[in-house]
Amino acid sequence: MQLQLADAGDGVLNVLLVGRLDTPGVDRIETSLTAQLVPRAARAMIDLSQVTFIGSGGIRMFITIARSLVRKGGKLVLYGAQPLVAQVFETTSLNDIVPVRADASAAAQAVRG
Amino acid sequence: MPNDAHAARIEIRFPGTHAGFAQGFLEARQALDAHGLAGGPRYNAELVFEEITANIVCHGSPDGHALEVWFTLEDCGDAIVLTFEDNGVPFDPRTRPDPPRQKSLEEARIGGYGLMLVRHAATSIDYLRTAAGRNRTTVRLPHP
Repeated sequence: MQLQLADAGDGVLNVLLVGRLDTPGVDRIETSLTAQLVPRAARAMIDLSQVTFIGSGGIRMFITIARSLVRKGGKLVLYGAQPLVAQVFETTSLNDIVPVRADASAAAQAVRG
Repeated sequence: MPNDAHAARIEIRFPGTHAGFAQGFLEARQALDAHGLAGGPRYNAELVFEEITANIVCHGSPDGHALEVWFTLEDCGDAIVLTFEDNGVPFDPRTRPDPPRQKSLEEARIGGYGLMLVRHAATSIDYLRTAAGRNRTTVRLPHP
């Protein structure tokens, strides 16, 4: 599991995740991702187009980070999920409480909105 | 899995630790690669492995005794059957209710989604505490 951060302009961070958000994958990135986003109350959009698997550990991680960001005035938007990953979002109703968008353009609009 | 492999069976045994889980998951995925299970059925098989095994590793040994996990996957022709045995404390996954539908980020539960995902993927879940003192959880998935 790898993560790459890039400045998307207007103070927005774009985070590319690559790999599997299973338990070992979440263990590998959660501390780093939280440290990169939460202290600065980031407005962040996370590109999931190269995430091939997510389990409940990934859902827990996104809820925890999104909640921490909102409490500090930041925002988290997810985008580009592959169909089977998006199905997990729907089953857990993550997409009812964290914005999930189809592509980068829609995510950029949501994170700035 | 190929049609001529209905008797296909995968057996993996690993320690119920984080490292053992990672190694067991890797071996399970390699075995699934070899048998050709793909797409949604493959994803669901991995999801069930992930969630059941994570529960065992995280909650199976509050007293710290060494956990072991025995995993088998069988292609029975009409179903993919995943069976997990572990020597952890008794735990019947059928007794845990799904978390309520999330209304807001502030009120959302952090956990409890793993078994919800298993139930969503499965056609049935069975549980038995064996005479040897092991949990045996059997999850049936639709055949591709």
